[in-house]
Amino acid sequence: MRGLLFAFLAGAFITLQGVANTRISADIGTWPAAALTQFTGFAAALIIWLCVRDGGVKDLRRVRPLYISGGAWAAIIIFTNVTAIQQVGVTLTISAVLIAQLCMTFLIDSMGWFGVPKQKMRLPQFIGIGMMIAGIVILKF
Amino acid sequence: MLFGILFALTAGALVGMQNVFNTKVNEQTGNWTTTMLVLGLGFVASFLIGLVFEGRGMFTSLGGMQTWFWFSGLIGVGVVTCMVQGVKLLGPTYAVAIVMTSELGFALLFDSLGWLGLQKVPFTLNQLVGVLIIVGGIFVFKLGGGRESEKDTSVQKREALN
Repeated sequence: MRGLLFAFLAGAFITLQGVANTRISADIGTWPAAALTQFTGFAAALIIWLCVRDGGVKDLRRVRPLYISGGAWAAIIIFTNVTAIQQVGVTLTISAVLIAQLCMTFLIDSMGWFGVPKQKMRLPQFIGIGMMIAGIVILKF
Repeated sequence: MLFGILFALTAGALVGMQNVFNTKVNEQTGNWTTTMLVLGLGFVASFLIGLVFEGRGMFTSLGGMQTWFWFSGLIGVGVVTCMVQGVKLLGPTYAVAIVMTSELGFALLFDSLGWLGLQKVPFTLNQLVGVLIIVGGIFVFKLGGGRESEKDTSVQKREALN
């Protein structure tokens, strides 16, 4: 039950984050908004990290630089997400984001890219993606 | 409208890829070290790109700030905390399916109520049916089974982010 509540809240926060970024962008511009929200998030994470110290630079040396760079992509993710919400609204944006996200996962898993263990995709995954695309078509047209 | 959807698809594809990279980091270190790194780098990248496109505007725009803007970053901390707990308690597959469902539910709510100055998108039956079918698709994808090596811990850890 508590797990359900946490998962439910996580989803609420993810959507709220996109909406808040869009609202802030309307006042100060999208790039300043992206920089600001990540800076304050970073500051908060830094404070928590100082309390829990669950790792450090030493650990990160073991990670390939390509993977370390993951965080930088968030700049483009926030920009495209905010622009999409401005143009087509929250529901359509989140729907398209989730479809593309699952398709990307699907592709990476089935190809075994980035050293991910190769997973065979079966019928349910194809049906799932098909349903999501059908849903987005109904949503909009 | 097409551009809006293309932007959203780009964001989603990058999220899928970023999740893989972040998981690779997370395999070597803790959740908060990972979060701090990811947000720190995201800030640096956004700031540099912003400087290129907006120049001094990156600083002058801060004049128009409402107080709560300074706290928006905390939402991200909420995401990480709830996600970690949800995955711990439910397992990655169920947790992610529920997170995605909740995302869509709140999206409908925000659109139809026009909260936070959003342009109101009137609630229609089509929207509800569309979202329900998408949610169905998420559950079929996640819980339909058939994906091999689900027991593998690194797969599980990554599932947690997708």
